[in-house]
Amino acid sequence: MTGCQVSENIQKTSSDEDYQSSSTAWRKAEARSTVRILSDGRGQCVLSVPDLRCGGCVATIERTLSTRTDVVSARVNLTLKQVVVTFVNADADPTSVISALGLLGYPATSADQDQSHENDTDNVGRGLLRAIAVAGFGAMNIMILSVAVWSGAAGETRDTFHLISALIAIPVVAYAGQPFFQSAFQALRVRRLNMDVPIAVAVVLALALSLAETMRGGEQAFFDAAVTLLFFLLSGRYLDHLMRERARSAVSGLARLSPRGAMLRQPDGVLTYVPLSAIAPGAIIAIGPDERVPVDVSVISGSTDLDRSLVTGEAIPVPAGFGDTLEAGTLNLTGAVEAEVLRSADESFLAQMMRMQSEAETGRGTYVRIADRAARLYAPVVHLLALATFVGWVLATGDWHTSAFVAISVLIITCPCALGLAVPVAHVVASGRLMRMGILMKDGSALERLAEIDRVVFDKTGTLTMGTAAVGLGPNDPALRAAAKALALKSFHPAARAIAISIAELPCQLDDATEVPGFGVAGCVGGRAVRLGRADWVADISMQAKDRASPVFAFADGPAMAFDLLETLRPGAFDAVKSFAAAGIPVAMLSGDIEARANRIANQLDIADVRSGETPADKIAALNALRDDGYRALMVGDGLNDAAALAAAHVSMAPSSASDAGRTAADFIFLRDGLEAVPAAWRMARATARIVRQNFGLAIAYNCIAIPLAMAGLVTPLIAALAMSASSILVIGNALRLNPPEKPRETQALRHKRSEVLA
Amino acid sequence: MMSNLTSPERARAMLITGAGVLIGLTMAVLGRNDPMGAHGWIVLLFCGVLFFIVADKLYDAEPVEDRSISYYDDPTKVGILLALFWAVVAMGMGVWVASQLAWPDLRFDAAWSSFGRIRPVHTSGVIFGFGGNALIATSYHIMQRTSRARMPDQVSPWFVLLGFNLFCVVAASGYLIGITQSKEYAEPEWYADLWLVIVWVVYFVLYIRTLARRNEPHIYVANWYYLSFILVVAILHIVNNLAVPASFTGAKSYSAFAGVQDAMVQWWYGHNAVAFFLTTGFLGMLYYFLPKRAGRPIYSYRLSILSFWGIVFFYIWVGSHHLHYTALPQWVQTLGVTFSVMLLVPSWASAGNALMTLNGAWHKVRDDATLRFMMVAAVFYGLSTFEGSFMAIRPVNALSHYTDWTVGHVHSGAMGWVAMITFGSIYALTPVLWRREAMYSWKAVEWHFWLALSGTVIYVFAMWNSGITQGLMWRTYTESGTLRFSFVDTLIAMHPYYIARAFGGLLFFAGACICFWNVVMTIRRVPHHASAIDYPTTSEAMEPAVPAAE
Amino acid sequence: MTILAFLIPITLGMGAVGLCVFFWSLRSNQYDDLSGDAERILFDEDRPLPAASARLSNTTKETAP
Ligand code: HEM
Ligand code: HEM
Repeated sequence: MTGCQVSENIQKTSSDEDYQSSSTAWRKAEARSTVRILSDGRGQCVLSVPDLRCGGCVATIERTLSTRTDVVSARVNLTLKQVVVTFVNADADPTSVISALGLLGYPATSADQDQSHENDTDNVGRGLLRAIAVAGFGAMNIMILSVAVWSGAAGETRDTFHLISALIAIPVVAYAGQPFFQSAFQALRVRRLNMDVPIAVAVVLALALSLAETMRGGEQAFFDAAVTLLFFLLSGRYLDHLMRERARSAVSGLARLSPRGAMLRQPDGVLTYVPLSAIAPGAIIAIGPDERVPVDVSVISGSTDLDRSLVTGEAIPVPAGFGDTLEAGTLNLTGAVEAEVLRSADESFLAQMMRMQSEAETGRGTYVRIADRAARLYAPVVHLLALATFVGWVLATGDWHTSAFVAISVLIITCPCALGLAVPVAHVVASGRLMRMGILMKDGSALERLAEIDRVVFDKTGTLTMGTAAVGLGPNDPALRAAAKALALKSFHPAARAIAISIAELPCQLDDATEVPGFGVAGCVGGRAVRLGRADWVADISMQAKDRASPVFAFADGPAMAFDLLETLRPGAFDAVKSFAAAGIPVAMLSGDIEARANRIANQLDIADVRSGETPADKIAALNALRDDGYRALMVGDGLNDAAALAAAHVSMAPSSASDAGRTAADFIFLRDGLEAVPAAWRMARATARIVRQNFGLAIAYNCIAIPLAMAGLVTPLIAALAMSASSILVIGNALRLNPPEKPRETQALRHKRSEVLA
Repeated sequence: MMSNLTSPERARAMLITGAGVLIGLTMAVLGRNDPMGAHGWIVLLFCGVLFFIVADKLYDAEPVEDRSISYYDDPTKVGILLALFWAVVAMGMGVWVASQLAWPDLRFDAAWSSFGRIRPVHTSGVIFGFGGNALIATSYHIMQRTSRARMPDQVSPWFVLLGFNLFCVVAASGYLIGITQSKEYAEPEWYADLWLVIVWVVYFVLYIRTLARRNEPHIYVANWYYLSFILVVAILHIVNNLAVPASFTGAKSYSAFAGVQDAMVQWWYGHNAVAFFLTTGFLGMLYYFLPKRAGRPIYSYRLSILSFWGIVFFYIWVGSHHLHYTALPQWVQTLGVTFSVMLLVPSWASAGNALMTLNGAWHKVRDDATLRFMMVAAVFYGLSTFEGSFMAIRPVNALSHYTDWTVGHVHSGAMGWVAMITFGSIYALTPVLWRREAMYSWKAVEWHFWLALSGTVIYVFAMWNSGITQGLMWRTYTESGTLRFSFVDTLIAMHPYYIARAFGGLLFFAGACICFWNVVMTIRRVPHHASAIDYPTTSEAMEPAVPAAE
Repeated sequence: MTILAFLIPITLGMGAVGLCVFFWSLRSNQYDDLSGDAERILFDEDRPLPAASARLSNTTKETAP
């Protein structure tokens, strides 16, 4: 062990063990903070288990967990891929359950309860379902009575049936119509028209007219139309809601990246876990390896490497030591550090980003959904027509009553039932297909906006490239390579991992290996000291190592050899860029990384329009400039630094590996690695837009036939019911065309493969 | 089995059967000058035998079984055996009825064996005796398994099962004696009807109590189907049987409704009986046993719930299609047609859902006759509902009504759907219930399957041909505008079809006998076998039927 | 058709019962995990689950010492 005394400047921090345990303590406390306390004093937490697949998984997990003494009950939700665990005590430790699940082969994370805030129950959805049930009940019963009237029940029977229908219809409309009345009222209050205004008007007028007819023993009543209409529209609205809800729960199932709390060094020297809100500037916190920095801090002891890719877009990890500032959201890679808090959580870099994001979002607030745009045209036209009909009939016949009847029947038959369904049904079908492709869509307007894009802007790090680095160039001598590999294997630094992977040789015997966070790995091979790491650090033992950007390897007093680090492209990146270019949509790249790295990727992908070194504000400015020039840009990005830009863009997408803020800001999230998801989603959006346009066409064609009939006074309730149902079904059927029939053969083959894997 | 009751439970059972004996005696005394007296003796005998069975075990040792870790399967077992017993009896009757139509001499000149008396023995026997017992037994099984809870007590399940069988016995024997209120499928007289109300209420309460004890938060959809069967049948039964007894010492009663009103109520009942007795209950069976046996979840659970509400809502008003071209107002008939046609949607949704569940497990269907029973049942369900919706259209009905086409439709539903799904379920259930590895003879199951299928097909085709021939002959006019064929001409034309029908029925009946034998042999000969999971399923259960959306 | 005075209220009543049952099922979370619930019946053990109350008292007993 001669020659190995170089380790004197490898200061091993005295409290290394302390950090080690603080790190596990932080992890536990972090998990524990997700446990909710139930009213009966028990604890409950929700774990997200993405690998849940079938009833077998459900049974295994529930059986295993419920035999544990600390668990009262475990309930798996296969739809949401979650497990709700109820603990005996409120201060239970979910990490042991998580590791038990891991042992069963189901990696789990605690689901983000901040997002599923409404106590897990979806109250809006339930309200809608309830309204649907009421409307369905009313529609069925009124339909029975109406069919009876249409097929000839006359005289007293008819009047009685109308009366019963009225008694059913009034409460049903009052209850089930609320979503439309409220929305219409809100729109009118700000002097806008949306689709719900004509709907509400038609329903109310139909009801009023039918009531009047019933009172005077008239022959025709539209109760059936009014209630069936509500039923159809509510179904569309519910599906729409369901789609958003599904995306929301899928997003909340993604692992949370930003920490909820930190290990705070108390005045008495003990480390305790405190939630973020309780951390004040000046406090000292400990941050272990593989943890994210919770607030903006400056390092006071220890050294480490940082992955800032999510924060600044820099692809390559950077070392940090005493005095360096770490922004909230940075990932601490290798060493444990203690740091002084600079700003409290709500002023931290992360919070600043969030603020920028919400400001940026207002730019998009003016977007009007296509259905409402249609309503703005449609409502006045229809209402004017009804008025004209009324005036015309009064002039022609002088019969006020008949005129009112005809005019209102015009409103009823033109009631935008099909229009109300034209958009949501298409969007629901599309969102289902996107989900099967591994793309989550937050809401329908996103799909509309995505169909309109004429510019695409990519972030570089984490979007066009993957976080992992690859090695371009290294030493050729096998002996050196074996030694370098042995060193590289000792570290979890991404660069070291990449180096280890790139060397095919077996590692040689290595003694005394130590990792020096922020610098590299040292050890001895055959009695000679070796180092792999930062150039200036390796230069301590080797003369030629200085002044290199990339990691360097050297034997003591031997030549230094550099490893060239490259970024790996995300799979499908090339095709994604090309398919946009082929469609005539210019592609640009906005990167926070240094120019050299940005340009290299841009060249590889044939992107001409590149900007590097962009700050978050620069990115927003760039997108706003595009908007001001009248372009509609799709932004694809992942980082914290992209979050605001994602919000500022016309529409945005993020990978599931993105920062929490990025995921919140993006309209679409793709769950699989490949970047093909971006053009695939865009194509889907275009196809959907086409279907929506066709649906509008159908609705207009329907009206062209129906309105003249109605104005001529030829519309009976039966015709109204048939026409409205037919047009709705037509529209739904058209939307279903977005779902190509699955080929059973293919799925069967796939299934066999899957069962082989399982067997 | 009685030894599994605790002594207070045995005492309660004795009390109930004792009360039954007293009621029987009262009826026998009061009705001594009326056929009702005979029913009194039958009730007395039935309850007396049960009384002694219980009394015999009254002082046996207390049961040792740990009730918190076991389901209560005894009544289920008896129910299955009773169902099979009724199957053999009533289908045997069916063969006899069919043979009488082909060879009228088979009446042997007795009053009790006339067509009009044994035909209801067949219909009530298959619908209530076979179908009813099968429904009660499987519902006991399913409600416990899907709730993961034992039934709340051990007496009321026996009360429901045996009480229902008492009703069946009273009904069947009444037809032979000549007691009937002449409403199809509701022939028994007022006291039997009252008794059934009591039994049915206890059944409903038992079901709800079991569900209330459930340890599995979700109520599986099969339970909804069973519950609707119990609840709606109760209401239908009560309304349709509103009647005033001519005297409390005799069987005769008069309906509360008259004329076309009575007809409307009868067919409001009649079709809903088809809907809620012969359809929803058996759909419950399908939704439980088919996924179990196939080892894969139902194709679309959401659809099964939606079609439940669809079926329940649409069925209520279709009854008037039985009264086309009668004194019923035209609009009521049209109403029935409209809803009959719409009913096709949820019906086919159910049948399609069942078949899609099997999509991807066809090799199992090929190898497993039990699963094949269920698949064929789903197919016949789809066929007969399509046929029904078609026949409900007035012009079609003008041809089909009063002809054998209706009988063909009935049996494609009853044999193809109801009986097939029941036999499939019994084959799936028997090994589980008696803790046996498998049925005694799989070859016998295979034989039964082919006998049942060919029997049904022969029967149904014979009736289609016969019915359409009949209908066309009836409406053929000569040039001078008179009827071309006399009634006897049509009868002669029917004759070969009636022989074919009797033959098809015989095959079906033989299959049922084989089934009974096979179940008994399974109980007696197959060694005991306990498995941790009920219905151990093979590997494929591990993968979802549909590519699960992410 | 005076009989309708009977049949219509009965039908409406049954429908209303159905509606209430549906509301109840909605409130008691019957539709929260349809795909899971469809699968569950395939994997039942051949005995009832211990009642929730029994389990609770068990676990508290076990953790008490
Ligand atoms: C062994 C097989 C069977 C045979 C041979 C058979 C035979 C018959 C015969 C001959 C009739 C009288 C037809 C007429 O009046 O013209 C009949 C009626 C009926 N059978 Fe069956 N049947 C069999 C199985 C079943 C089964 C399994 C069910 C029900 C689950 C059933 C339900 C009925 C019903 C409901 C009727 C009355 C039909 C009507 O009124 O239109 N049968 N059966
Ligand atoms: C969509 C479903 C169905 C419709 C619309 C329907 C319709 C009809 C029609 C129109 C008739 C003839 C009435 C007549 O002319 O007298 C009939 C008779 C009958 N159907 Fe169905 N049917 C359906 C399903 C079923 C099923 C699944 C069964 C099952 C077993 C069944 C059992 C019967 C029985 C027993 C009769 C004879 C009633 C009698 O005694 O006259 N039906 N059905």
